[in-house]
Amino acid sequence: MIQLTNVTYSYPRAETPALHDLSLQIPAGQFCAVIGANGAGKSTLCATLAGFVPHFYRGKLSGTAKVAGIDIAGSSLAELAGTVGLVFSNPFNQITGARFTVREEVAFGLENMGVPPAEMAPRIDEMLRFARLSEQADQSPYALSGGQQQRLAIASVLVMRPKVLVLDEPTSQLDPIGSREVFSVLRDLAATDEATVFLAEQKLEWVAAFADRVLVLHQGRLVADGPPAEILASPTLSQYGLEPTRYTQAARAALGAGFRPQHPDLPVTLEQAVEFFR
Amino acid sequence: MSSTPFSLYIPRDSGMHRLHPLTKLALVGFALILGLFLPGDWLTYLAFVLVILPLAAWAGILPRFLPAVLKTALPIVVSLFLVQGLFWPGGTPIFHLGPLSLKQEGVTFAIRSAGRFIMVISSFLLLTFTTRPDGLMLALSRHGVPNSIAYVMLATLQIVPRFQAKANTILDAQRSRGLETEGNLFIRLRALFPLIQPLLLGSIVDIEERAIALEVRAFGRAGPKTSLLMLHDTPAQRVVRWLLLLASLAIIGWRVYLGLAA
Amino acid sequence: MNLDVEEVSFTYPGGVEALRDVSLTIAAGEAVAIIGENGAGKTTLVKHLNGLLKPTHGRVTIGDWDTREHSVARMAARVGFVFQNPDDQIVEQTVGDEVAFGPRRLGRAAPDALADATAALEQVELAAESKTHPYDLTTPQRKLVTLASVLAMHTPVVIFDEPTMGQDARGVALIGRIIETLKAEQRTVIIITHDIDFCATHFERVVAMANGRVLADGPAGRVLARADLLATTNVEPPQLIRLAQALGLAAAPLSVDEFIRAWTRRNEPDRRA
Repeated sequence: MIQLTNVTYSYPRAETPALHDLSLQIPAGQFCAVIGANGAGKSTLCATLAGFVPHFYRGKLSGTAKVAGIDIAGSSLAELAGTVGLVFSNPFNQITGARFTVREEVAFGLENMGVPPAEMAPRIDEMLRFARLSEQADQSPYALSGGQQQRLAIASVLVMRPKVLVLDEPTSQLDPIGSREVFSVLRDLAATDEATVFLAEQKLEWVAAFADRVLVLHQGRLVADGPPAEILASPTLSQYGLEPTRYTQAARAALGAGFRPQHPDLPVTLEQAVEFFR
Repeated sequence: MSSTPFSLYIPRDSGMHRLHPLTKLALVGFALILGLFLPGDWLTYLAFVLVILPLAAWAGILPRFLPAVLKTALPIVVSLFLVQGLFWPGGTPIFHLGPLSLKQEGVTFAIRSAGRFIMVISSFLLLTFTTRPDGLMLALSRHGVPNSIAYVMLATLQIVPRFQAKANTILDAQRSRGLETEGNLFIRLRALFPLIQPLLLGSIVDIEERAIALEVRAFGRAGPKTSLLMLHDTPAQRVVRWLLLLASLAIIGWRVYLGLAA
Repeated sequence: MNLDVEEVSFTYPGGVEALRDVSLTIAAGEAVAIIGENGAGKTTLVKHLNGLLKPTHGRVTIGDWDTREHSVARMAARVGFVFQNPDDQIVEQTVGDEVAFGPRRLGRAAPDALADATAALEQVELAAESKTHPYDLTTPQRKLVTLASVLAMHTPVVIFDEPTMGQDARGVALIGRIIETLKAEQRTVIIITHDIDFCATHFERVVAMANGRVLADGPAGRVLARADLLATTNVEPPQLIRLAQALGLAAAPLSVDEFIRAWTRRNEPDRRA
């Protein structure tokens, strides 16, 4: 579904590339998370998958990047909209400002795609239920909390039925409850196996909870790629400016103190940690 | 942050509210032209009483409409009468007040200007109180106004409260670092300079993200668009709009003719 | 310099009652974290500590100054305040000038302000960027610039609103070190944070707020271990405390070392048996 071959990209006027010789394939239905320190290239990679690199930010892209068989550099943003959905950190700036209610905000993308009104209503209702915003359908998008606004942004993109959903740190500007609300929607999405999701995220505990696969970026290069349990507990994590969860840290300290657990795998989540220390 | 960007709209289930946005625009526009172009000062007030007020009553918003008009217009109207009435150069005094005197010409001028001002304010408020801006923009874009222009007009409506909130936060941040903003006018004016950079650069970041959000939602896609919002139009309304447009043109034409003849 | 919040209530002009009868005393040199969900009143409370907001009822004093009797600009000599969004704060054309802005406003001579700025930039590891335009840095770096611009003012009290938001592990560790330095210098540090693990690592005292009231105020280990109370503020206990509770340990560990100690203590009798 996503296919990158030797992708290198530099922002205009930048001396070093933000993405460096990236090659990877993501099959349909996979929930793939990318982690890395600030400046490692997570956002740039997200922007590339959605076509904003190179179509919005300009700069120099080499190699080939394809989403759902479409060559990103060779098509326009308008063509990519509807195929790739993008959700980013700031919930407020994702509200179009062109519509009056939550329901109409969700409709905005469908309107632009020319979907007949009769077909819109059921798709919107279904999406509002999925994002748990049915009760807010007739409110102003500006009256919602940050977490609700972010779920609205996800619903507004998903309603267009994109082949790939790209989320660039969707909870970094939310409070804990807002983050949990957004993650629970993402968890439902991961459970469907239909959506191909690409998530850039700092909160490793959440990544471990639902990603099928984790990529690590470091200075624009792909330095690790594998299942979450393996990547997130790896001792190399700190070399890439990432901090393992406290569960992993505690388990490692226990091993250092001579503890022999029944399950030797280092834990990343609370459940795994309870298992480890039992 | 205001809870709704379109805070002027008053939702009501009235005949006026249900009119097609362009019909409302035509009605209000006609009232405005009546008020501004009919000769004689009292006709302006008559247009207000006979057209604007009944429309506001029909919309069921009189209790909020009248105070709003009054609040907006009163300061200007009062100062018009004071300044023009008392300080009209030369002129015929009609009333003495110590060293000052009220001048006939000044009062006439003030009556004329105040009437026009009230008409402009009240027709603008009537339209915004009874018309959802997105509906109006949709109607306009269906009638040839480009989508992007309609969007900019809509988005501008919400920038103002956001800009104010942001300016206040920036000012707070600078006061917290020792920038004196309390005191005489000079100090307060000087305190505004540091606001400019964060306001502008911050807005650029916002605008860039908003542009990305719009692209993601296929805003730039060519081809026909649809709309969830239904605009109800009727042949009768279309006829009324044409009639109002013709009548407005006739009034303007008549005035221009009078002006040329004089 | 003690901070005293005495029976403060505050209502915004729109009628929203954001603080209800809040009393709080913070002694010189204390490190206090204020937690709670958005809308709980955290920001409203700290805005009272430098006079940005004046109480509707009650009194706030910083040392011998009543906030109602001094302008915010004057209070800035005693209380430094780092805002959440760096883009609301940065006004100068270079990083160096930006950091010198505060010391200059406090009346320090240009060379002294420059020296303050240089030292503060070294603390946030951005000394090499002093001639750079702030907007040529990334947002997390700009946030560190705003941190430096307040550190350079050498105020006895420093307030941070969500300092770790948007920072990666390296940035969080750097901010942690800065807070430890401030604590070592006996300066009062107050933060608002959603980052509960960060709060557990660096703050001895935690104030939990909800609906404009102080729900709990006490040692971090005690407040952060009260899962039921935290749940009402929609905050989860730190990871190590959650783990300790899931394992049935009686302790509320704030660091990995504390956790290991508590855990081995429990396991030792098992091993002997």
